[in-house]
Amino acid sequence: MADILLIEPDRLLAETYLQALAAAGYSVGACSGAQAAVLVADQTRPDLVVLELQLTTHSGIEFLYEFRSYPDWQDIPVVVHSQVPKSEFQQNWQLLKDELGVKAYLYKPQTTLRQLVATVNEQLPVKA
Amino acid sequence: MARARTEGGSPILSQQLLLSVAEELKLPLMQIARQAEQGLLSGRPDLETIQTSAQTALSLLDNYALGVRLSLAPEQLLIEPVSISSVLYDAGHQLDALAKNYGVELELNIAGRYGPVLAHRVGLQAALVSLGAALIEALPAQESPQLKLQLATHRSRYGIVAGLYADTKQLSKETLQRGRKLQRYSRQPLVDLSHTSGAGVFVADTILKAMNLRLTASRHHRLYGLGTVLQPNNQLHLV
Repeated sequence: MADILLIEPDRLLAETYLQALAAAGYSVGACSGAQAAVLVADQTRPDLVVLELQLTTHSGIEFLYEFRSYPDWQDIPVVVHSQVPKSEFQQNWQLLKDELGVKAYLYKPQTTLRQLVATVNEQLPVKA
Repeated sequence: MARARTEGGSPILSQQLLLSVAEELKLPLMQIARQAEQGLLSGRPDLETIQTSAQTALSLLDNYALGVRLSLAPEQLLIEPVSISSVLYDAGHQLDALAKNYGVELELNIAGRYGPVLAHRVGLQAALVSLGAALIEALPAQESPQLKLQLATHRSRYGIVAGLYADTKQLSKETLQRGRKLQRYSRQPLVDLSHTSGAGVFVADTILKAMNLRLTASRHHRLYGLGTVLQPNNQLHLV
């Protein structure tokens, strides 16, 4: 069973996403902020990270920089699932993709649970 | 768009405040939409209506925010070659669930070959979706409802027209002009057409204006409708 680290600041949404991913057969660890996420990642060594960019205190981008600074976490796929429209960071998308290893971007308000699960499945074809 | 009356008299300030409210409202709507979907996936088909309604409201807020952002920062307007047929197809796909909810038959009429036009694809689709959602909600409340809405495109002497059409004369130039005048002052500016504020029509109007296009009334065969005129680009056609 693949492990997913879900970084979602809203408690109600986190619960819903967690249930949907768990129903799809994943083991999910959820946290609301970047600092807690680093600690959880250290304990669980996730196979994939689902990340909101708009977090409290540290942004999702800051989390990504820290996350990628650890050699063990260089290759873990990250799916950005955010309330920030892609058009707002269009110029930085290449950086997110190439340097920070973001594999997919989903605009949260228009992404259904099915689409989220499908994207995670795509990124974890073997382990799922 | 509301005018600032109390916040320092700046229309920009008021727009930004409304933008924040729109962003804030997305959160509860997302919670409703996703929880309804979760219920749907666990065997509660009755929740589909709720999911669709919340998703439509999310789209309206997104499209409103896009309209304001493009108006405030026109340099963000990314113009690209766009296939009108494909935009209409995607808009139809986005409106399908809402149309089913309201018992409106949504038809796509993209027959004919049209070359690409230069436009802001996201904006064009957002305008058509906002307009479509407003018309889908309005049609069943008309006295003699003809519950059919066509997403269609055709050539006119002014260019390529893309819009939404129904068999109701209320989709007219006069209704639109009166609505624009009343929009800031009336609770129901499109009174002949819609029982609501008709916000979707004005969001479409705002987005198109920001793209240097216009929302206009037009006819498609025997149907009446609202849409926009796009200019075919001969150079792109050659490519």
